[in-house]
Amino acid sequence: MSHDTAESLHTDDSLRWEKLKNRLFLGLCISASLFGVVALVLLLADVVYESVAGIVEFDISIVHFLTQGARRDPEDAGFMAAIAASVWLMILTTLMAFFIGVSSAVYLEEYAPDTRITRLIEANLANLAGVPSVVYGLLVLAAIVNGIGTGSILLAGAIALALLIVPIIIVATQESLRAVPDGLRHGSFATGATRWQTIRGVVLPAAMPGIFTGTILALARAIGETAPIIMVGILFTARTPPGPFDTFSAMPSQIYIWAAQPQPHFHHLAALGIVVLLAFMLSMNAAAVFLRNRYETDL
Amino acid sequence: MTDNQSEWERVAGVSRRSFIAAAGTVGVAGLAGCTSSFGGDDDGGDGISGTITATGSNTVAPITDRAGETFMDEYPDASVDVDPQGTGAGFSEFVQGNSDVQSASRMISEEERADAEANGVGWDYFEVGTDGLAVVKNAENDWLEEITLDELKAVWEFESDIELWSDIRDEYPDEEILLHARDSASGTFDYFTENIIGEVGLIRDDYSATSQTNEIMDAVAGNQYAFGWGGVGYYHAIADDQPIEAVPVESDVDGEFYPPEEEYIEDGVYSPMARPLFIFLSHYSLEDRPNLIGSFARFYFNGQREFAPQEGFYASPPEMPQENHDKLDAVLEDLGVEDQVDVQPDV
Repeated sequence: MSHDTAESLHTDDSLRWEKLKNRLFLGLCISASLFGVVALVLLLADVVYESVAGIVEFDISIVHFLTQGARRDPEDAGFMAAIAASVWLMILTTLMAFFIGVSSAVYLEEYAPDTRITRLIEANLANLAGVPSVVYGLLVLAAIVNGIGTGSILLAGAIALALLIVPIIIVATQESLRAVPDGLRHGSFATGATRWQTIRGVVLPAAMPGIFTGTILALARAIGETAPIIMVGILFTARTPPGPFDTFSAMPSQIYIWAAQPQPHFHHLAALGIVVLLAFMLSMNAAAVFLRNRYETDL
Repeated sequence: MTDNQSEWERVAGVSRRSFIAAAGTVGVAGLAGCTSSFGGDDDGGDGISGTITATGSNTVAPITDRAGETFMDEYPDASVDVDPQGTGAGFSEFVQGNSDVQSASRMISEEERADAEANGVGWDYFEVGTDGLAVVKNAENDWLEEITLDELKAVWEFESDIELWSDIRDEYPDEEILLHARDSASGTFDYFTENIIGEVGLIRDDYSATSQTNEIMDAVAGNQYAFGWGGVGYYHAIADDQPIEAVPVESDVDGEFYPPEEEYIEDGVYSPMARPLFIFLSHYSLEDRPNLIGSFARFYFNGQREFAPQEGFYASPPEMPQENHDKLDAVLEDLGVEDQVDVQPDV
């Protein structure tokens, strides 16, 4: 039975086998790539089914759900206060994370010499991006909520989320800055522009679409984060829209609490809450894709 | 870099720098605003306003939250913030004076008493409702009709050698028993281990432990050979729709077997599987904001026999609200603030 390789390649049998292997491998790759899509479709189908069942069986009014705060009675409960808390979190997180992230990336890409210290900073940023989100929650709980004694306020939650996404924004910004051709910088320098003028007038405008895309994707991740928010502390029932210095329950934590209640009515509210949260995340992702496509050609 | 320094300064432009300075100032002002609002809850003597921080049990939180919601409907300037982390985690905040109202599904432990004393935090407890623990099985389980306290202990005790249903009674099937219950963070866990097994925390370590009673009920409804226990409110919420049944448990009052139903729990014969639920009030908070905290406590006691059943629990005994008011009277008098509380007993 022992063929030598060259010979076996030329027999019909082996050729068929080789082609079969090729097709099997292709099939394997396709099913691997479909795996994620199928999981997403199943998740969406389950959540939509639960929400529709809630609307039909328990007579949940969508308008009421979107305009009222949460209550102890599931019939009266709405999601508005949690949505408001999440919007506040996004605004404050963006304010903190965007400027820190972009400034760090500009420094690392445009100014910093390639020294051991710079490489150490970059390696640590890569590590930070891999830290589990609950750790940021614990950090903020210890340092700010209990350390400074702010209590479980919304601003503390925003700080936890900002810490979480700063490394992501830095990496995305670095990528965008690297994608700006050096020719543009040299051209700018050749006209006598300073480094600051070059960065402000040439590099950043060219890199901005990429930076925005990265930031929006990072925020889309932050809005769904539950662990750091729960660590910082959450309201059992988010009744009224909070300000930055109030205790709060954002969308993910209110969903978490509803899902843990005994009454099935609350579980359907949680499903509807997930739909709203997913709508936020998908529109943020869509905005990121739109920005990328829109400005890709202009560069 | 260095040779560009002067140019850098020049082109940066005044407007931009002043913008940054302005933004910084706004940021600092914002932070200052937030520090001043941290402790600014005093109610100034007249009117009930301010924020009450409530920690504690996941089990009792719905009752306290319901009381808070009704209180806030009545007094819109007051806010009751309930952040349940579990009885134990809540006590560790409460004994440091970080919490005004602590919900608890068990009594305060020796260690927690000592901590409170070391920190100079005085407290009193008040019974606000009754919870039953349901022992649950799958509806397809047709062999287990009742369970004695000894059998329950044998199944759950530390290093228990019960692996199969037939290890409990010979006539039960030779199938593995799948155990589901609460994890050690909960007061429910402490209550069960203390009252059924005999010592807090002394439980076998090979069961599926969770912080969500829902998960216990779902798991038992999903498998014929599953067995578990959890708050009776969770059992009743799904008992009509899911294949799950409560097992009648031996009473330590009369030796009969009772299911976790209202009549047996409120009669007191569903014992030791029914337990009182408490709130603890901090003396420091009562002294600091007597009208706010005292009024909330009065309001809670006035309505407690309604709040608990609305949340799937059982009312405390009828004499409890009056006993709680009397106890609070004594505390307020001790603190010298008895005439500063607006809400009066109404039971």
